[in-house]
Amino acid sequence: MLISRQWIESMLAEGPVLTDETFADAITSLGLEVEGITRHGDGLVDVVVARVDKIAPHPDADKLRLVDIFDGQREITVVCGAPNVPEPGGKVAFARSGAVLPGDFVIGARKIRGVQSEGMLCGEDELGLGNDGSGIMILPDAWEPGTPLPDLVPGIRDTIFELGITPNRPDALGHVGVARDLGVKLQRAFSLPGVELAEAPSLPDLVTLEQPKRCGRYIGRALEGARVGPSPLWLSVRLHRLELRSINNVVDITNYVLMMWGQPLHVFDRSKLAEGRVVVRLATAGEPMTTLDDAKLELTAEDLVIADAKRPAALAGVMGGADSGVEPGASTLLLEAAWFVPGGVRSSARRHQLATDSSYRFERGVDYGARLTAAAATAEALLVELAGASCIGGVDVAGEPPAAPSIVLRHACVQRVLGMAIPTEEARRVLTGLEVQIDGSDADAQWTCVVPTHRPDLVREEDLIEELMRHYGLDRLPDTPSVPTEPPGLRVTEGQRQTDELARLEDGLLDAMRAEGLHEALSFAFCDPSELEPFGDWQQVNVSNPLRAQLSVMRTHMLPGLLRGLANNLAKHGRAVALCEMGRVYSWSFPKDAGRIDRALVASEATAEIDAQLPQERRRACFLVCGGTRGAQSFDGQSEARRVLAVLSRVGLAATVRPANPMQTWLHPGVQAAVAVGGEQVGVVGEVHPDVLRRFEIPEGIRAHYAEIWVDALGHGDVARYAALPNFPATSRDLSLEIPIHVPAAVAIEALSAAEAAAPHTADGPRLRPGDTGADAVEVVDDYRGKGVPDGCRALLLRLHYRAADRSVTDDEVQALHDVVLSNALQTLASVAPGVRAR
Amino acid sequence: MLRPVSDDVQEALRAELERFVEAVATVADADALYELQVQFIGKKGSVSKLRGQMGKLAPEDRKAFGMAFNEVKQQIDAGLERRKQELAEADRQADLGRIEDLTMVPGVSQTGSVHPITRTRRELARVFRGLGFDVVDGPHIEHELYNFDKLNIPANHPARDMQDTFFVDGRDGTAGTDANLVLRTHTSPVQIRTMLQRPPPVRVVAMGTVFRKDDDRTHSPMFHQIEGLCVDKNVTMADLKATLYRFVSAFFGSDLKVRLRPSFFPFVEPGAEFDMECPFCPRDEQGNKQSGCSVCKGSEWIELGGSGMVHPKVLDACGIDPEVYTGWAFGFGIDRMATLLHGVPDLRLLFDGDVRFLEQFRC
Repeated sequence: MLISRQWIESMLAEGPVLTDETFADAITSLGLEVEGITRHGDGLVDVVVARVDKIAPHPDADKLRLVDIFDGQREITVVCGAPNVPEPGGKVAFARSGAVLPGDFVIGARKIRGVQSEGMLCGEDELGLGNDGSGIMILPDAWEPGTPLPDLVPGIRDTIFELGITPNRPDALGHVGVARDLGVKLQRAFSLPGVELAEAPSLPDLVTLEQPKRCGRYIGRALEGARVGPSPLWLSVRLHRLELRSINNVVDITNYVLMMWGQPLHVFDRSKLAEGRVVVRLATAGEPMTTLDDAKLELTAEDLVIADAKRPAALAGVMGGADSGVEPGASTLLLEAAWFVPGGVRSSARRHQLATDSSYRFERGVDYGARLTAAAATAEALLVELAGASCIGGVDVAGEPPAAPSIVLRHACVQRVLGMAIPTEEARRVLTGLEVQIDGSDADAQWTCVVPTHRPDLVREEDLIEELMRHYGLDRLPDTPSVPTEPPGLRVTEGQRQTDELARLEDGLLDAMRAEGLHEALSFAFCDPSELEPFGDWQQVNVSNPLRAQLSVMRTHMLPGLLRGLANNLAKHGRAVALCEMGRVYSWSFPKDAGRIDRALVASEATAEIDAQLPQERRRACFLVCGGTRGAQSFDGQSEARRVLAVLSRVGLAATVRPANPMQTWLHPGVQAAVAVGGEQVGVVGEVHPDVLRRFEIPEGIRAHYAEIWVDALGHGDVARYAALPNFPATSRDLSLEIPIHVPAAVAIEALSAAEAAAPHTADGPRLRPGDTGADAVEVVDDYRGKGVPDGCRALLLRLHYRAADRSVTDDEVQALHDVVLSNALQTLASVAPGVRAR
Repeated sequence: MLRPVSDDVQEALRAELERFVEAVATVADADALYELQVQFIGKKGSVSKLRGQMGKLAPEDRKAFGMAFNEVKQQIDAGLERRKQELAEADRQADLGRIEDLTMVPGVSQTGSVHPITRTRRELARVFRGLGFDVVDGPHIEHELYNFDKLNIPANHPARDMQDTFFVDGRDGTAGTDANLVLRTHTSPVQIRTMLQRPPPVRVVAMGTVFRKDDDRTHSPMFHQIEGLCVDKNVTMADLKATLYRFVSAFFGSDLKVRLRPSFFPFVEPGAEFDMECPFCPRDEQGNKQSGCSVCKGSEWIELGGSGMVHPKVLDACGIDPEVYTGWAFGFGIDRMATLLHGVPDLRLLFDGDVRFLEQFRC
């Protein structure tokens, strides 16, 4: 919303001179935030009225002419290329030497094709007073040569404030509302010219109100003898300063009233209305209408229209129809000033995707009372004055407007909400200034207040308290520390305990990933549907109105976001990349193996009914590493398996890596594994499938490794329990296994461990336990491929450590156990991984 | 010759001693020293063998021989010990002679980094926990009832236009507006959840990801917000301001004033925007501000976010009696706080995962 300072000042009594900045601060302090200040026209004091005295051809140029003018001081010859220089005696706008035109264009004397020219005859676009660039400005004949233009049209020199008006203040969508508010703040009296409609004969047939529930009031005024033509300079300049285009006097008048009262008006060409009357009714379903801007609408039975005797002439409060618009030549007019139910206007505007200055204001709520009358009166007076029209009659039909609420304001409540008291006399001054009627004396503990109809936002006590606060000033609030009635932390709810625990876990995982050399990235939670194709059907959650297709589905996996980051890095610099991310993934129904249901988010019965309607959200901690294109660093599946175990270990979780089951199709089939804690899968690790990399335009030959942890599937680490220290040495046995390359070592180790667990034991005999160096009970010493081992196989050298808790063990008893373990394990392996044998 | 044997043996002892003295001087390491020890005084060593000849001596010579033997033995022991010390000292010297150039640190540090937004979130959580607030969170995909209706943003009301909303299709593919699901446009639905889930007094902050249909230099379709909520008896606008003041001062570590300006947010009444004194403006030694700076564009104030007294309708909608309890709430953008704090010029840097950007935030 643009506001002219000059216009505002004209409605307020004289006061101390304020700079634009101070003026703006005062407006902002009212909650009408000034977002921009633009000063106009200071360079135009040297633009004056000049009289054309003589026109002669330019000796050297066909399209230029020499114009002798009188600028109030002397005769001057100006070279001019405009086609519309008036006959001698006509008045034009002349920029004297020294004038500064918009764009810091300084006018001087110069030679044009050999002829000395001093100053310039200006068009309105050159002066920044309009958009017309077709010629120079022709001024009224009555204007005296030599008078500075800004003296004749005060709106030329002005400061325009750009205001951000919040939806609760429709009254501030016009200059009157802003001036009223500011007058109270600055303690300057507010005054307006007469705002009553002129007496006119009653024309009850002019308006038929069929929908009193949708239209609270409708003023119709019939005018005749209007001449549609250009607006006077003061009007076109005022609109231009407010960035509205001057169209013709009739349209400009409605725009002027819109800017003044915040009240949208509409003018019909009455001669084009069937039977010259309007009906406020609902459209019939499918009824067609063409708007002023030529959009063809198919109306619904919920749309309120202003129709003539036959068909719709306007979509009420939104836009007029093409057929009944005022065009040059129109002379009989119907002026409409009405109040429509905000929700109805909003629905129609949305349904037909029409957002207009008019619907914007009706949606927020305009006045159905005094200001509606005033707006109609202002418009009519201007139509009479500027377009030569005369009113032949009118009608003011009442519908069912909302009742103006009466609000009880308790002074104690002001203190209760604000934490400060406001003196009674100040409260009275402010509310009265805002046109609130107060019933109650200064001594009363409470007042009954009736709010004006132009403030639909004032409906309850707190709203009036806010009015007092705005005007009394928030700077006066005392510093009162907040003291809870109950010490925080006294009640720990189960939900909060879980939330805190999860937050600690997430913090811990992130710190662990950071310590492991990973850089935390954040990527968008939505992605391109094609990016999720490699992951199969995950019951995706779709965004109905995405910004662009690339952001149209909520991610079911974290990998696409990190791969976009990787591609971005490789394209920019090619360095090694080690990214991690903590984030959520979304699905209507996650597959069973993807981590258990989110604990903290569905924790309460109070919200369970709504929560059941929402998609599922799961937390992920993940990372992606890549050596880059410069070969400075390299990663492999094993290094990343180590990294994911280290991350979990740093949050107190003893994890293992085991064969992937099921296999992830988006990871390399030969380089992937499952990550498990306590037998339950909590994540995956592996090399990203080359087909997936290609999809993200990662250069050929580049490998990337990825791991993800299903945070919701993680328990918290158990409290560590002391176990007796080993006081006696371990004895070890080496074992060389020949196993197919595709069989993971973990399979062999698991078989050996299981066989040992199942073997017969004496109470104090040897058991498979971590070795003296701290190595795992079954330690992988070597993974040999090559000479002596068949193709497709490898020789795995394992070392098994045995010890007893409280005595030394003998070679014989260890050997006996080892033999049992080995033979049983080989038997197991023969079935799960054929081809394994001891060497 | 009465005592030839004794003399011979003694002579042999002296010869062994001389041989030992010569040998021990050339021993270069502990192993060789041990060999020497075995060679001379081990069970079958040359000196030990001579001791076996004592039996062949005349009894009267035995004492003298014994004394001579012991003396040689002691000298050899002492020689071995001395040599052992010398070798240890030589080793120590050699070890101390080692030189490593510690200034040649490997170029790439192994430490990762934490995203500036996460850093800021953590710092905010720390400060508000200190002020007695619980940290809570909620789902990113919300029902309109919590994201709008219960926050006094009814359907078909222009207040909904204040936030450009992403809608989400329903489970069965129902178009977004009919499914009543949205990507939460603010963290305020967590206020509603909290008030529904726990009776007053309530003191919480909610932090997290929010979404708005907006994308330009200063707006990202996904960003992060923090929201504070306090509902209790005798809660006023004044202690909202006081709490914001304490938060801002604790967060930036200096005494920064807070300014409230009236504004409108549907879920508060009265509502206000809040600004803080610019912490980046240059100051003199007494800590007095000298001038504006580029961050606050010379205004000496930085706009942070919105705040106000929880609207009675919102309390009502959550089953809290507004005649008994009052509350306040505030909210602001974490991303902006992070960019302010770390001097990040463009929001887009936050989300494109460039490691050259991320690694700048190691600590």
